Amino acid sequence: MKLAVVVQRYGADVNGGAELHARYIAERLSRHASVEVVTTCARDYVTWKNELPAGVETVNGVTVRRFPVRRERNPDDFGRRSQRVFERTHSVADELGWLESEGPSSPALVDYVEKTAKDVDFVILFSYRYYHSWHLARRVPEKAVLVPTAERDATIGLSIFGPVFRAVRALMYNSPEERAMIQAASGNASVPGVVVGVGSDVPERPDPERFRRKFKMRRPFAIYIGRIDENKGCGELFSHFQRYAHAFPRGMDLVLVGSAIMSVPKHPRIHHLGFLDDRDKFDALAASDLLIMPSYFESLSMVALEAWGLGRPVLANGRCDVLKGQCIRSNAGLYYENYEEFVEALYSLESNGPLNARLGRNGKEFFKRHYAWPVIEQKYLDMFAQLKKDLPPEGASYKGERGYTGERVASGFRRKAVEPLPGFFARRKRNLPPSEDILATIPSGAVVDLPYRVGRQSA
Amino acid sequence: MSDFSVRSDNVDVEQIMRQIRARIREKRGVDYTEEEIRELANVKLEKFIDPKGVRSNLLEEYRRVSTPEPAAPNYAFGEDTLYETHRAPIRWLRSLLRPFLKLLFNPNPLIQALHIQSELNQKAAERNARREQLDALHYEVIHNLVVELTRTGIEVNSLKMRLESMASRLDFDERRARALEGVVQYRPGAVPPLQPPTGHDQSRRHDGRRDQGPRDQGQRGPRPPQGPSPQGPGIQGPRDQGPGGNALDNEGNERRARRRRRRGRRRPGEERGGELRPAFAGGESNASFGDQGTAQSSVPANDQTQDRPSTLDTSASAEATADRRPSMADSSEAPAQPTPSAGEPPTE
Repeated sequence: MKLAVVVQRYGADVNGGAELHARYIAERLSRHASVEVVTTCARDYVTWKNELPAGVETVNGVTVRRFPVRRERNPDDFGRRSQRVFERTHSVADELGWLESEGPSSPALVDYVEKTAKDVDFVILFSYRYYHSWHLARRVPEKAVLVPTAERDATIGLSIFGPVFRAVRALMYNSPEERAMIQAASGNASVPGVVVGVGSDVPERPDPERFRRKFKMRRPFAIYIGRIDENKGCGELFSHFQRYAHAFPRGMDLVLVGSAIMSVPKHPRIHHLGFLDDRDKFDALAASDLLIMPSYFESLSMVALEAWGLGRPVLANGRCDVLKGQCIRSNAGLYYENYEEFVEALYSLESNGPLNARLGRNGKEFFKRHYAWPVIEQKYLDMFAQLKKDLPPEGASYKGERGYTGERVASGFRRKAVEPLPGFFARRKRNLPPSEDILATIPSGAVVDLPYRVGRQSA
Repeated sequence: MSDFSVRSDNVDVEQIMRQIRARIREKRGVDYTEEEIRELANVKLEKFIDPKGVRSNLLEEYRRVSTPEPAAPNYAFGEDTLYETHRAPIRWLRSLLRPFLKLLFNPNPLIQALHIQSELNQKAAERNARREQLDALHYEVIHNLVVELTRTGIEVNSLKMRLESMASRLDFDERRARALEGVVQYRPGAVPPLQPPTGHDQSRRHDGRRDQGPRDQGQRGPRPPQGPSPQGPGIQGPRDQGPGGNALDNEGNERRARRRRRRGRRRPGEERGGELRPAFAGGESNASFGDQGTAQSSVPANDQTQDRPSTLDTSASAEATADRRPSMADSSEAPAQPTPSAGEPPTE
């Protein structure tokens, strides 16, 4: 089996959520199939500046083919267009202009994948919102397997993405909340999809004492791992924790791991350790009492899964549907929506040893059952087998026609029908509602009634 | 904070969160439910504040600020605004001639400048709107502060009254207890119980009957001639004697004589000593309390009664009886053992 993985950035040192997800999946699937990663030369997700050389290289045993980005992102232009499509009545042309402005626009990449699509079994597209996913989902829909990594933001309300979600062969969701949101936004319930997520190489025997010795951590602590950013809810976390520290002078400390793009308050019980390698990170997790996830928007929290993999409970922001749903389904974490709940939940996890241990065990079981690598790999392989078995009928294909965007589509392989774009004038008619209004109509909340919920027993 | 009871296999995150929220509700208090808090936040300031009580023009200021102002007009300026028209042919013509126009001059800086200006206008309008919202928030905050302050003030007053009431009751109960103890009749030869300190100065109040002990004796004058045997147990008084107390009682005459000698020595230097008796006999209630005893003793009993009214009138007679008990202990005329005659029944 031959697979192409297409993602906006790729590299051993690229640590974005979707990019890391793509790398893990590519490396794992390379054990079962021939995998080629197709990506851009960009390293910075803000500017898409071409920093890496174009061409072919090997990263951790996987072939990576890079294509240059045609032009860097202009933040002003992107901001203006975002404002238009998110907040005002707009047209399809506005949305297409927004997509082009967002980038990373690399027509060479799209052309290459389209040309070689007949030689691969499936094209795995990461992150629905970027240029490459939209174009390739329209050009090679029959081969396209989309990993949307969608968060609950206004992008999901743009009209140009509905046909994409309905056109691809299958979707590999990160969470039931993500699936519910996309299905509500696009009505693609008939498209095959499975909640997969991503695994992690959690070490069997981490060494928490080594971490405590190395960083001189003597007191019990809660840990936050990730980018220290206002958008990740760190501001609220700092505020809550400082109040908690004032109320509980002998309570636990807070350890921050990750690069900071906001100021970390100087507090004797807040320790910022900066970016750590995997060994230190896992040792730190094992040494901690719990992980705090203050983010409002997550499609899947890998670090939460890693904490559960190490048997540590999670205290999550309850306003993030995905995190709240994961806590409830796993029975392995508590959540908060305000300071009172934060302090009560944190104190409960800190002071109640049996509760902490039981939640940790539930987390370990949840991780092993749903996010261990063999489970993840098997879900992908099962989906590929099902898609191969259920090929679309010949009559549904059409060859050599002009497609949605007016560009030539590849011929020579069967093609699933894609809803065409509106005509020239209709495309420019500003009659689409702001996508924020669309987002507001999409139901929210954690998905809790699932058969694979862990430890659902009465307390 | 209470803990959750977690058995090995029983844990349900949703239930734990329900318990946490219930606990938070309990902490907030029964008089403030979510609905009430919301209602409080929505109630206008005027309903709670008495304008006469507010000395500044706060209310007028808030009323003035809260009047909404019409938003300033703005325009949206995009790339195509210059060429837009509702007439399709003209729009087409303009788009056709746009390259020629660009040959003559470069409209892009103009477009960008106007677009930036439009954005600045919008941001300024948003900032104004936010400021207005903040003003409204300040209004609410002050309103809530006033409400909370009023509530706290009422609670403080209530607590003060309760404290005073409880102090009065405690005072009355103590006096009553002393009065009842005073009417207990002891059998001849029995050891009278120690009385609570009601002495005339600070040291006596704390030492009780220890004024008979060697320390006081040593301080106040030469020790009277003692018997050949060590005086320790006998001199330390009945409190420290333990089983030896009866032996002293058997020597009651010696002790009384010792007291008489001591009082005789003290009397010339302590002019007030003799005047204490009438004050106690007069039934002054406050004379038995604390450090005031000495000061009051210089004033005639009748004057004290006039100047210091009793807090509780009903306890006056009981106090009078209660105050006699320590005075008997110090009096040279009083016997060491209380007699039934001392127990004039107090009237309550």
